[in-house]
Amino acid sequence: MMFEPVGDDEVELLIERLADGDPEVRRVALIELANTAQPEAVAPIAKAVEDPDAGVRLQAAISLGEFDGFEAAEALGIALVDADARVAQAASDSIAELKAPEAAAALLPLVEHVSGFVRASALRGLKALRHPEALAIGVKAMKDPEPGVRAQAVGVVGYLKAEESLPALIAACRDADAEVRRTAAGALAFSKSPHAADALIGVLADEGWAVRECAAETLGKSRFDQARGPLAGLLDDDVWQVRVKAIRSLGQLKAKEAVDRIAQSLHHEVSNLRKEAAAALGEIADPAALPHLEALVNDPDPDVRKNVRWALSRIGAATG
Amino acid sequence: MQSDARMDEIRDGLSEVECDVLVLGGGTAGPMAALRAKKKNPKATVILLEKANVKRSGAISMGMDGLNNAVIPGYATPEQYTKEITIANDGIVDQAAVYKYAENCYDIIQELDRFGIRFQKDENGEYDVKKVHHLGTYVLPMPNGETVKKALYRQLRRERILISNRYMATRLLTGPTGRVAGVIAFNTRTAEFIVVKAKAVIMCMGAAGRLGLPVSGYLYGTYENPTNSGEGYAMAYHAGAALANLECFQINPLIKDYNGPSCAYVAGPFGGYTANSRDERFIECDYWSGQMMQEFYQELVSGKGPVYLKLNHLQPETAEHIEDILHKVERPSRGRFHENRGTRYAQSMIEMHISEIGFCSGHSASGVFVDDFARTTVPGLYAAGDMASVPHNYMLGAFTNGAIAGEDAMGFADGHDFESFDAGDVAAEQTRIMAPTTREDGLPPNQIEYKVRRFVNDYLQPPKVTAKYEIAQRRFAEIRQDAEERMMVRDAHELMRAAEVWSILDCADMAAYASLYRTESRWGLYHMRADYPERDEDNWRCHVLLSKKDGEMHCEKRDVAPYIVPISDEEMGAYYRQRITATA
Amino acid sequence: MPLANTPTSVPVLVDAEKCIADKGCTVCVDVCPLDVLRISEDTGKAYMKYDECWYCMPCEADCPTNAVTVTIPYLLR
Repeated sequence: MMFEPVGDDEVELLIERLADGDPEVRRVALIELANTAQPEAVAPIAKAVEDPDAGVRLQAAISLGEFDGFEAAEALGIALVDADARVAQAASDSIAELKAPEAAAALLPLVEHVSGFVRASALRGLKALRHPEALAIGVKAMKDPEPGVRAQAVGVVGYLKAEESLPALIAACRDADAEVRRTAAGALAFSKSPHAADALIGVLADEGWAVRECAAETLGKSRFDQARGPLAGLLDDDVWQVRVKAIRSLGQLKAKEAVDRIAQSLHHEVSNLRKEAAAALGEIADPAALPHLEALVNDPDPDVRKNVRWALSRIGAATG
Repeated sequence: MQSDARMDEIRDGLSEVECDVLVLGGGTAGPMAALRAKKKNPKATVILLEKANVKRSGAISMGMDGLNNAVIPGYATPEQYTKEITIANDGIVDQAAVYKYAENCYDIIQELDRFGIRFQKDENGEYDVKKVHHLGTYVLPMPNGETVKKALYRQLRRERILISNRYMATRLLTGPTGRVAGVIAFNTRTAEFIVVKAKAVIMCMGAAGRLGLPVSGYLYGTYENPTNSGEGYAMAYHAGAALANLECFQINPLIKDYNGPSCAYVAGPFGGYTANSRDERFIECDYWSGQMMQEFYQELVSGKGPVYLKLNHLQPETAEHIEDILHKVERPSRGRFHENRGTRYAQSMIEMHISEIGFCSGHSASGVFVDDFARTTVPGLYAAGDMASVPHNYMLGAFTNGAIAGEDAMGFADGHDFESFDAGDVAAEQTRIMAPTTREDGLPPNQIEYKVRRFVNDYLQPPKVTAKYEIAQRRFAEIRQDAEERMMVRDAHELMRAAEVWSILDCADMAAYASLYRTESRWGLYHMRADYPERDEDNWRCHVLLSKKDGEMHCEKRDVAPYIVPISDEEMGAYYRQRITATA
Repeated sequence: MPLANTPTSVPVLVDAEKCIADKGCTVCVDVCPLDVLRISEDTGKAYMKYDECWYCMPCEADCPTNAVTVTIPYLLR
């Protein structure tokens, strides 16, 4: 055969094989149907999510991930409640690949489903679709009893970037689950509201280091000036990765008053921290940092030396 | 599907098809070139010919874990990127093509996103671009980048591109005026030949990645996908196209023995880095370049060696997250390799090494010479991706320049009729390829290949020494004669390996010839000539173009095109001086 | 023919119980970039015919029945 089959009768031939008595033959036919990428292939694959054989249903759930639109999404919704956990998981993964806005209509009803897995999967699929109706649904789902559902709900709401969702996102920053809190803190990045800033500052005291790290980064990204003091308070955090983000944000906020505290990190054993401290001191460009930086021009780490050199030149330029 | 016994049986056959635009290679640049050509003229016929299978072919067979050179508004500008690439490439850059890439790549990212290729986004759905380099911000992670090839394949089938898998192209056909007329190829499972006549041909045949021998000695344990054995370079050469700066080899940092990428671009944003045995960072250089590789090499052979990927200073959760990405997306067997060795990233550093040599513009600058429309010096012939000369291109460059090539090639095809060619060329090529099938006794291709590549390591691996290069040239000539007189194969699959031997030999010869021509050192380790240790701006601030003239290998200088993004001597000099060493 | 047969331990393993090549499946054979897998005439199952593996794993990842396992070639291990 010279070319991959492109004829119109190819889909029909494969559909015939879907009626074969042998489930493995049906399974192979499903793989080939998906390969055609033709819209006519969706309906027969969608039908296969109700095949008596679990292996066939699994393949149908995987193959539907190659397509998009309402019909595929609706069939994936059926596969999502399959008794076989592998089929349901495959459907969940395929749902996350959907991109067409019209797929949302098939997913929206599933967010009320009795199973937390189904609710979470539906929200996971809705996230990238950015459907306006998903805002209210997402906000509601942020009160779901299951943390996995709440995390997905925060994802949906965060993608919609709506000021009206702020109270819900702020509340989620105090969720019982660390992953929900981290996602919510990251989702606040779109907002310039002082309420968002206050919430993020509160999160700097979170018990989870990854949550604190995310809040520290977001406060700098959003240029919340009021965070300068609280961020400086994070400079003795036990986890150096959190300190790196706090230092970077203090640099972005040009926090002159934090120069001495940042300079303490110039002597930390982890060079990532020294490197970040030198860069932040360069961003702030306050002459008070000079003696600290000059002591480091021969640091064993080339990236630290480079940033020290850069910071010194910035301060030199600033002081003329 | 044929049964096993018949599948690799050698059969006689020669057929002919024709198309408007022919794309050779279905990896990264190829699918994009084919899609864009078809989009430009939906009525035209586009054929995509692939040595393996488009579903999983090329350098990104399994997936890709990030864009290393994304120029995204708000994070980087085309001017800044062009400057950075010019400096990283020691000034030997025709900027127009680099600038055009930088201007177009963001549109391509968005197009790929629509195809269903997943890039990292923040909690608000914006591209989560990371700063890894000292100056610019170019890295867009793809922690779910394992779906790249699937999404491309789906797109090709949806647009009904004619895909022809398991055909290995061996020679371009050209007409009396030198214009491209088509290609001759054979089926790697039946040895049947096909001539594809085309008005324009786009070569997207990847790096010459099976040139040096990996430290493991396993022929297929290469850094690049070993199907990328340099056919593009060899075919362009025999068709009379110019190849640029082949002496600027590709050498990459990698995980020792596993020979897969170390993925500093993945680990960097999390705080991972390359360290010596004292746990210290040592790389001075800002941008991935031959200079960086030279620093790596020096550290390896110094008292502070070997070199490691260091992640064990990170929180265990972070190290595990990096493991999860690296063991899932681009080269997932990496997890198994570490499992065998008992290495966990959170606990111990991972030993690194440098790769065997190859040609690849994706990471360096060696490629078929192209302009900013991906046109080679042969009319109607285009090149894109790792085999075209646009430097430091990576995956996104392959996509972007593939798109540029597809569009321009269709424009060319629309304005031209088929070029004629000499039927004698087809017959001669069949005879050349089939010669190993005519022998009852002789040398199998794998042994010939091993010998060529062992000598590539012995004599061509930098530092480059003139006398050693001359020995290599004599050895390659002897092996070439062995291959011509004694190479034998038993089935069509082995015939593919035999045909690859010719590409590997041609690339070895070109690597030696181009390296000897440039009598200076440049691009750090890539062209470090022990007997010409200095960079010579007066005589060698130029491209070296290699081509076939009157049947012989030939090199000439070509001026670097005037910069469109000016770089002052001070900036260039600052780069050279910037390698600040500790004085304490 | 004066060629010796040198044994080699193949990195790609196929579980014949799970493999459905005898039902028309050719996924692993199709996706292998090096084209080293074949379907056996005797058993109807896939196997590694040529030891030319890049341990890249599409054969394993794309196998619909999880019948394929890629191990690291011994020389690299």
